[in-house]
Amino acid sequence: MSTHSLTKAALRAEGLPRRRAVNRLMELLAWLAAALAVAILGIVVWSVARRGAGALNLDLLTKTPVQFSLVPVKQGLANAFAGSLVIVALATAMALPVGILVAVYLMEFARPALRTAVSLTLDVLNGVPAIVIGIFVYGLLVLGHGQSGYAGSFALACIMLPLVARSTMEVLALVPSSLREASLALGVPRWRTTLSIVLPQTIGGIVTGTVLAVARVAGETAPLLFVSSLVGTQVSWDPHHALQTVPVAIFELAESPDPADHTRAWAAALVLLIFILFASLGARWLATRSARRMSTAR
Amino acid sequence: MSSTDLTGDATRRPFTGRRVRFGDVSLQAVAGAAAAAATLLVFLIAYKVVRGAQPAIVRYGIHFVTRVAWDPVKNVYGAGSFLFGTAVTSLVALAIAAPLAIGIALFLTELAPRRLRAPVTALVETLAAIPSVVIGLWGILVLGPILRDHVEPALHGALGFIPLFGAPSTTGSSIFTAVVVLTIMILPIVASISRELFLGVPRDLKEGALALGTTRWEMVRGVVFPYARGGIAAALILGLGRAVGEAIAVTQVIGGGVGIHWNLFATGDTLASKIAASYQGAQSNIQLSSLVYLGLILLVFSLVMNASAQVIVRRTARRHGAPRGAAG
Amino acid sequence: MKRTLALAAAVFATAAAAGTATAPAAHTGTSLVGAGSTFVAPLVAQWTPAVASAYGYELQYSPIGSGGGINAVTGRTVDFGASDAPLSPDQFTACKGCAQIPWALSATSVIYNLNGVKNLLHMDGPTLAKIFAGQISSWDDAAIKKLNPGVSLPSQKIAVVHRSDNSGTTFNFTDYLSSASPAWKSATGTGVAVNWPAGTGAKGSSGVAAAVGQTPGGIGYVDVAYAKANHLKFLAMKNRSGKFTTPGLRGILAAATSDQKPDGTNALSIVNPPKKYPLAYPISTYTYVIVPLQSSKAADLKKFLFWAVTKGQAFGPRLLFQPIPKSVLVVAEKTIKQIHS
Repeated sequence: MSTHSLTKAALRAEGLPRRRAVNRLMELLAWLAAALAVAILGIVVWSVARRGAGALNLDLLTKTPVQFSLVPVKQGLANAFAGSLVIVALATAMALPVGILVAVYLMEFARPALRTAVSLTLDVLNGVPAIVIGIFVYGLLVLGHGQSGYAGSFALACIMLPLVARSTMEVLALVPSSLREASLALGVPRWRTTLSIVLPQTIGGIVTGTVLAVARVAGETAPLLFVSSLVGTQVSWDPHHALQTVPVAIFELAESPDPADHTRAWAAALVLLIFILFASLGARWLATRSARRMSTAR
Repeated sequence: MSSTDLTGDATRRPFTGRRVRFGDVSLQAVAGAAAAAATLLVFLIAYKVVRGAQPAIVRYGIHFVTRVAWDPVKNVYGAGSFLFGTAVTSLVALAIAAPLAIGIALFLTELAPRRLRAPVTALVETLAAIPSVVIGLWGILVLGPILRDHVEPALHGALGFIPLFGAPSTTGSSIFTAVVVLTIMILPIVASISRELFLGVPRDLKEGALALGTTRWEMVRGVVFPYARGGIAAALILGLGRAVGEAIAVTQVIGGGVGIHWNLFATGDTLASKIAASYQGAQSNIQLSSLVYLGLILLVFSLVMNASAQVIVRRTARRHGAPRGAAG
Repeated sequence: MKRTLALAAAVFATAAAAGTATAPAAHTGTSLVGAGSTFVAPLVAQWTPAVASAYGYELQYSPIGSGGGINAVTGRTVDFGASDAPLSPDQFTACKGCAQIPWALSATSVIYNLNGVKNLLHMDGPTLAKIFAGQISSWDDAAIKKLNPGVSLPSQKIAVVHRSDNSGTTFNFTDYLSSASPAWKSATGTGVAVNWPAGTGAKGSSGVAAAVGQTPGGIGYVDVAYAKANHLKFLAMKNRSGKFTTPGLRGILAAATSDQKPDGTNALSIVNPPKKYPLAYPISTYTYVIVPLQSSKAADLKKFLFWAVTKGQAFGPRLLFQPIPKSVLVVAEKTIKQIHS
């Protein structure tokens, strides 16, 4: 329906009852679509909660898995939780400073053309499928050397980097230029201005971006399958060796035919989900709060 | 040029006669090194993937892309079966998710009562945050059995004359299950991007149409959709890219079959899911290299889709005149 | 409020860390990383705590299948690989200076699920080959009836289950079928993965065990340790001397006596032993550890492997692994001595 005929029909109120009916139908469909989305989320979260809650006990966090036993034995996923903590923490330590520095360079030093070009590559990096990152890190760090927690962290850091950089760039753009100009006018050196005046304004946004990136990679499985999956059953905090992680543990347990394994998988999924939801919603709440503060400060 | 650019230019020029501050230079150098490293990373990834695929490229050439075979015994490999799987699963999932996502976005921007908007938006974005391994777990243990025992036999019974709805799967793992899982995963992405687009439609355009007496739906069709057309295309491409790259949830529910079947209830594999399934157990160098070749094809796909989405976004931004920062 | 959130996060993290820290502490000694055969995984699982208390080594073993194990050690992403299928000349070349050492001895059992039918149903090689080729599709087929006079067999459809991943158990099983049935040898052959003419695939021994357990009329093959752990029924196989034998320690030992001399690459073939071993179970096999002869962890690897082929064998019988015979042990130790840094 062209704009012209639309206007004509509207002005003449032609066929109003039919048009109203079509409108009603579309509104109904939109409501249904939204209800469906909410329902899907509810179903998935409810499935995980119902099956996982029953199996959620201290054993999950304190006992290690048992690879083969002639009799049923109490087991848990302590090695996976420890490994995930180590690998995600290391990944954040790798990605956060680099991401902030990239954003600082692009927003404070780079010419607009360079800024566009580099942020384009950051977007490309963001679009690389996680499994290809796994192949990349396998070829770079694992082949010939063995798997390690460091390789796992590096892979996750590659995924986190564009997220951290982009969110830091967005917050840096929000800092009013008057602030920078005032500081420079007072004789504060460029680097001091950036580090002590501009960056502190962006802490809230950086934290939000980092928390969201952590929530994203805490559940990332594909790259870790290649670089940190040949693991033992003991709890280890040493990233020089391959460490078990929660998402890889869930992946392996899901494939097993043993219902006891499935129960542990649900429980681990529940813990993972709680952590991720907690982090995402918390970050979002933080973001709205600091955005509100920013806008009132201007 | 924004004011930041002006200030930037002014302060980048060192004061005449004064030596350049060591601190300024070091910060610029360190930050610049980080930016260079980030840029190089992308090229390094491409290089490593090509290198890993090289033995297979040398041995099978470009015919690998269309060959439908995966025989570890005779060492004959090809991507054809998995390209088909990727195409079917991603396109069907997009076809189902797109109208749903746009409906959700319209609901959130036009129809929802004020109080519902924030919570439902948060809920939709939370759906995006669920890790793929958890959706895969739910797919194997909950969705699969339901589809196998109720939905697939029903569809086969009602529509079995169409080759798409052939014999139901035996385990619940099938292309159909993978399609459902992918739909759930790309729904929130397309919905949130569409929602942001619809929010950006100028109010006076919308109110003008309504003032002329159009119904809400006609206003959406006549004003919102044409205005947001480019953005929606980009959102669809990004959703497609997500579906194409998804390895974990798909490999958990797709059943791992080779070959081109028209039956949606048969098992299959996509490029990404085949890599995830076979990488660990790969037994020869050439098999490993063929898997990396699959990864290379996947990488090329993602790059092309990413680039197209970017081009559309920038062209749309220019058309609408809004200054788009580097954040995109 | 931000402080509350931060506090909550800190509490959560501390709880998680405390919880995992109270778990059995990690051994601060060397870790030896291995991957491969699921066949030997039950035995390695018994070795792990023993080796830890004896030497302080932490064994990290991942049962990803024989094929994966060979590939992993070839790419030096692990310290040792494990495979039930001996390496081919091409694989030796690709591995660049690896040795294979027989370190355990057991058998593949053929499991089946038939309600109301006794355990240890009789079967022979040619009939089994026809079943797995899809040529015999019902349990009350004449050929099966002939082997089991007096047993009432239901007219249940046979549901064949095989391994979907690269498996040394598959290699052992298909090696036996090829030896017992020339038709199978020419049509399908031997391998860690073959083009199965019939049946559905399941991943891992546990996958096959589960699939057979859940499918009435199911038949599949798993290492006997899994059959025992899951209380599955298995077939008594007719060996070349005409006797029906089971995958117990006696049958495995008798099969092992049929080949006591490892060849140039330390491989042994004890599948379908000749007539003069009446007690032999015909689907027995050695399983090998694949090690690079030059390794940064040479000293630890040697200590571990020496322990495995001597003291470690004592853990075997409970899981139906027969301790390796003296003649093979001598060859194994000689090869282990060659590992250097």
